Amino acid sequence: MFCPPFVRRLRFALPVLALLAACQPDKPATTETDALHQVRDDLGHQLTVPRHPRRVMALAPSMTEMLYAVADTSTIAARTQVCDYPAAALRKPIINSYPLDLERLVALKPDIVFTTEGMTTPADAQRLQELGIPVYYQRYQKIEDIFRGLTDLGRLLDRPAQAKRVVDSLRAELVRITAQVPPQPLPRVLAITWTDPIYVYGQNTLFTNKILLAGGQNAVVEKFAQPYPALTREYILKLNPDVIIGGSFGKMDSTFFRLYPELKRINAYRNRRVYDATDDLMARPSPRVVASVRELKQLLTSK
Amino acid sequence: MHRSALPWILACLLLLLGLLVVGLRVGSYETDFALLGRTLLHYNPQDPAQLVLVELRLPRLLLALLAGAALALSGYLMQIMVNNPLADPYLLGMASGGALGASVTFAFVPVLVVGGFYLPPLAALVGALGTTLVVVIIGSRRGRIVPAQLLLAGVAVGSLTTALGGLLTFLAATEEKLRTITFWALGGFERASWAVLPYPAAAVGLGLLAVLLLRNNLNLLLLGEERATALGLPVARTRWLLLLIASGLTGTVVALCGPVGFVGLVVPHITRWLLGAVGRGNLVFCALLGGTFLVFCDLLARLLYPPAGLPVGLVTALFGVPFFVYLLRKQGT
Repeated sequence: MFCPPFVRRLRFALPVLALLAACQPDKPATTETDALHQVRDDLGHQLTVPRHPRRVMALAPSMTEMLYAVADTSTIAARTQVCDYPAAALRKPIINSYPLDLERLVALKPDIVFTTEGMTTPADAQRLQELGIPVYYQRYQKIEDIFRGLTDLGRLLDRPAQAKRVVDSLRAELVRITAQVPPQPLPRVLAITWTDPIYVYGQNTLFTNKILLAGGQNAVVEKFAQPYPALTREYILKLNPDVIIGGSFGKMDSTFFRLYPELKRINAYRNRRVYDATDDLMARPSPRVVASVRELKQLLTSK
Repeated sequence: MHRSALPWILACLLLLLGLLVVGLRVGSYETDFALLGRTLLHYNPQDPAQLVLVELRLPRLLLALLAGAALALSGYLMQIMVNNPLADPYLLGMASGGALGASVTFAFVPVLVVGGFYLPPLAALVGALGTTLVVVIIGSRRGRIVPAQLLLAGVAVGSLTTALGGLLTFLAATEEKLRTITFWALGGFERASWAVLPYPAAAVGLGLLAVLLLRNNLNLLLLGEERATALGLPVARTRWLLLLIASGLTGTVVALCGPVGFVGLVVPHITRWLLGAVGRGNLVFCALLGGTFLVFCDLLARLLYPPAGLPVGLVTALFGVPFFVYLLRKQGT
């Protein structure tokens, strides 16, 4: 799963090596576009991309948010049908990501396409590569990975200063949010994504890191093969979470707990600590992750 | 050729009892025999482990039992009705119809609980019965069911509802919705509770009672339409009755558990192999064996993929098909 550290370091070294190679006098001078260089994405794929990409796009709504944070927005060529943030993105032409509108995407001729693990199938990525469009995957397990992702984007889009500004300000904001030491013991929080069957945010999702920074802990400690495992009512009774995120108390009372009245015994229901969190903030690993932590913290401290 | 069903029924009951005891012990909570005993003698709902036993595990086992019984019985009746060993409870498009009904609610209805009533099972029931109605209209002529026509209508309409369901699946962009629709296509018992059990219990009870009363007519129908008519059987009316009973049984299961596959095809065959085509205990044994088989499959599903379990329809096929093939080959020699 993880990139070994030397691979990550190599990834930073590669552009330098490529730069040295490009300086060789016998190399033919590149045309009006860009020099190319080799990079390696978070999944370890080796890609050849222009040093100064002029047309980019993202195949995931979170990645569109990442691009808007770092890129020169005029270089963002399009968005997908589900990309709706920031508002400026809505003015970009739409390329359907599911099913992938390969023809329109190719017609758009992006220099590089960004996506996140799980949002674009390897088959689609393979097809795009064959058609000469490099697909750069990012993968995030912790908030720090998102910051690193922003920094990587800055380097890839030749906007390191902008990326640094964004990351620095996000870091500062996160430090401010997490400055107070939360009261112990940390409440155990179960975040529900679907009611029937019951799917939740598993241990190996970004939520685990976010809720920890917000002063709680993911109630799901066991590591399942799926990031969003299906749980039984019995399993949830045994977890007995202190807080449930998935909808306001009133809404959950009339839906979720109506469907599964046995679960009314859990602490979260008895203490009415059942909250609604903004879907996009919960689901998208984007620069708004810090806003998501802030929201979670507000929920946990509300009485 | 009659063989006594009693030993088989007793053996099956014993097996079922064993499975129920094991089934009560499988789950997230540790529940030893001492706890089972305590729960049996002095049920204390304040103890979460006891609550889980009584409110979650037991209804789940009973739902699997009733669903299996209903599907096996339904399959048995369908096979007699069309006089075709390939018939199963989903002959009339109930599986894809039910899945389509449920998918429609997941795709288009924003609020799934209305006035405390959970819509998807109702929609699945409407989808299943609606599809059946269409198939029956196409598959009957002047008030008589024409088996060959009914079979073809079932295949055709089933393909159509499958395609419509596929369209909804394709358009349902979120992963969670996809998984829900998968659940509705393969079946499971996770939503079991005491509140839903009366429906399948009533369906199985009434269905069994009705077919026991019709038993002699069933055996006559097996002789083929001409000979059955010659022997004075009102063939058309018997077929309609069978269709009604089988549809009621299947519809109930589809609404509550999704279209659990295979059990309704294989269990009637096993019943006939063991007890003969017209055995006296066939109907009771078929229902009992179907229930036992599904309890076993659900147990296996939970053991293989804790905590939620694999969709039970996968397990019935994965473990039922090899067994079925084995029997088929053995039968042939």
